[in-house]
Amino acid sequence: MSAYLVSMATYAGFFMILALALNLQWGLTGMVNFGIAGFYALGAYTSGLLSAKAGWPLGLSIPMAIAAGFAAGGLVALLSMRLREDFLAIVTLGVGEVIRLIVLNEDQITEGPRGLRIEAQPFQSLMAPENYPVFYLGFVAFFVAITYWICERIRKAPMGRTLRAIREDDVVAGVLGKNVFRHRIQIFAIGGGFMGLAGALYAHYSQNISPEVFMPTVAMFIWMSVIVGGAGNNRGLLIGAGTVIMFLEGTRFFGDVLPWLDAETMSSVRIITIGLLLIVTLRLRPRGLLPEPKFTYTRDKIAG
Amino acid sequence: MTEAILSVTGLRSGYGRTVICDDISLQVSAGQITCIIGPNGAGKSTLLKTIAGVVPAIDGSIRVAGVQMAGLPAARVAGSGMAYVPQEANVFRALTTHENLAMGGWQDEGRTQAARDRVYDMFPDLKPLARVPAGNLSGGQRQMVAFGMALMLEPQVLLLDEPSAGLSPLMVGEMFETVRRVNAEGVAILMVEQNALQGLKTAHEGIVMAAGRIAMQGAASELLNSADVSELYLGSRI
Amino acid sequence: MNLQIFVNALVNAALIAPPAMAFSLLFGVLKFPNFAIGGYITLGAFAAYTFNVPLGLPLPLATLGAMLFTGFVVWLAHVWVFKPMQDQSAVTLLVVSIALTLILESVVRLFFSADVRGFDIPLERPWKFWGARITREQVEIIACAVVLATGLHVLLRHTRIGRAMRAVADNPMLAAIRGVDAAKITALTTVLCGAIFGLTGVFAGLDLVIEPLVGWNLTIPIFAAAILGGIGSPYGAILGALLLGLAEELTILVLPSTYKIAVGFVIIAIFLLLRPQGLFGTAEIKK
Repeated sequence: MSAYLVSMATYAGFFMILALALNLQWGLTGMVNFGIAGFYALGAYTSGLLSAKAGWPLGLSIPMAIAAGFAAGGLVALLSMRLREDFLAIVTLGVGEVIRLIVLNEDQITEGPRGLRIEAQPFQSLMAPENYPVFYLGFVAFFVAITYWICERIRKAPMGRTLRAIREDDVVAGVLGKNVFRHRIQIFAIGGGFMGLAGALYAHYSQNISPEVFMPTVAMFIWMSVIVGGAGNNRGLLIGAGTVIMFLEGTRFFGDVLPWLDAETMSSVRIITIGLLLIVTLRLRPRGLLPEPKFTYTRDKIAG
Repeated sequence: MTEAILSVTGLRSGYGRTVICDDISLQVSAGQITCIIGPNGAGKSTLLKTIAGVVPAIDGSIRVAGVQMAGLPAARVAGSGMAYVPQEANVFRALTTHENLAMGGWQDEGRTQAARDRVYDMFPDLKPLARVPAGNLSGGQRQMVAFGMALMLEPQVLLLDEPSAGLSPLMVGEMFETVRRVNAEGVAILMVEQNALQGLKTAHEGIVMAAGRIAMQGAASELLNSADVSELYLGSRI
Repeated sequence: MNLQIFVNALVNAALIAPPAMAFSLLFGVLKFPNFAIGGYITLGAFAAYTFNVPLGLPLPLATLGAMLFTGFVVWLAHVWVFKPMQDQSAVTLLVVSIALTLILESVVRLFFSADVRGFDIPLERPWKFWGARITREQVEIIACAVVLATGLHVLLRHTRIGRAMRAVADNPMLAAIRGVDAAKITALTTVLCGAIFGLTGVFAGLDLVIEPLVGWNLTIPIFAAAILGGIGSPYGAILGALLLGLAEELTILVLPSTYKIAVGFVIIAIFLLLRPQGLFGTAEIKK
């Protein structure tokens, strides 16, 4: 039972990093990313393959996963600056799907649907196996905290404020020129890097990754986390990611209580519940649980 | 004094809790042109939208030929003898001229054929453009389609929101000429104009709005000669 | 090059073109790419299956039932989900529409499990000509698609209600000012599109198989055809569907067939970046 809670919290950690990264991208640049599953997969397979097949130490393979996500993010941002956001959604979804298809088809390298077995786990040798899950939860929580801290720093930095102020208005962005353009690409890339990190953390946690984990539904769950939590608000989306994982994983309890429900039924019920969660939240609280705080210019600041 | 075809009393309207127009009372006499002028943000367009039912009235009455319109949505106001031409997006760009006119006659399809012939008589330039999508027309041609569409149900009063906005200087004169021609058919007109001088010259009656209220009201010629009006609104225009 | 490629592309186009037209129409009134179409198509396929196999109705009747049922569900989705949320951003609505597809798919999975099914129709030998094969069902799909496209053309161009649908899509405010009940016309448009998605579900069940993912697998090709032809140009969608079908068939010659789904994405990306108005459309999807 408690092992179960630890595992659920660890998964919530992966989701929180992904949600923070998405909010960094969407909240600051206004550019949507539906290819989250692809970036997640890219991180997982980069670190997984480098450690399992090339024998790299994790201290190098995990940073490489971040670098891969960063590079892919920059590339996607560069290609898509001109697109209207809902169509950018389709293109990025495509990027995610293409990454998954490559993983699926190039099975000589990735092992495809058989799944890639990864032995290496960070700091594995330092403790007893029964304590490892709790340690890993702390390890993930540490990265969630770092990601949160960096995201908040970027959001509050002068450039972050400018980006937020102009995200609705591309004409202004154009007038402000190349500087803004470059910053938007950088921020999208940083978001990609965090997604790569989440992927690597997931890979070394589950120790077995296969393409069916990286279906577009992952992107959906992260988007739901952000929208349910309140787009633009980093604390809100941590709650959102927690809620989504709770609905997603917590419903597994029903499986124990109601044994006549088979796995297939359970997974259907889970998806229906989580879909309804999104719709009901939006109907009752159109701006999410914790909405983005409005810009407030206090009098003292202007006077001071 | 001829009878009033449109009679507004004590009208108040706005968006949400923000009141834009307050305590507006005005009358448009049958067959007359009335022009509303005033500075930007005076609430002129909002007033017209309220009369047309696009912005809901908070209080007051709007009567067209004696029938109460206040509180009815735009779709119900259409076909009541009053037709509204918005300032922007006043044609269906994806539809042809012919189809646009048909949309003007939506509420009374039986009359469409005859009404369309009448519109083509009034605007002969439109006839060769019947099969052209309105989005491909020039600004002046689009304005004619918008007028024609509004005239399809033979309204007694036409509401025009800044008909000269966005037209080239050459077209502006022509547009006011069109307004006079439509009026000559017996249609009363209530229009909002930024171009105060031309607007008042075309109109019989004039209304000056400021800060959501009516500041001055009278014969257009009187307003044209009034020292206050010319100093405030006409001077910069000449 | 062999004829079979063209036959396959044609069948594919017949499958994709009607929903691409419907998607275009729906985009016109709702102004966001509606991913719920995948769920609607799946629902149509399973509704027709239920009428046809367990209830034993002949397929044409089952098809009609499926179209009515899907139209009704799409109307419900409009009233309960999309209409109350119309002030949300396009991206939020897009996420909601994906959620809706997942919900519908899962509901279907709850009742029917993920097994692959087929309609109760006699198996016939495909016809052969000049080395190409085509089944009776495929010919029927092509014929139905031609009739449907023609019907939709007549409806939109030459009827009062069709004109109002285009007018509301173009400028809902002006339509209301001219006395059109825009809400009613929008609801009618969604029901019409729903019926078309239901029919697509039946076609997909005939040509492919009936399974919960059938709609999702068609969604991207449908988007690609609509974008290729130009959003807002239902006729462009037909040509878009043909070109997409050809592109997919040609890809299979050089890449494993699992990459087929990527073709749609690549076409979407190229067109959105280089020619966002598509082949015929207006530049509505530019930023």
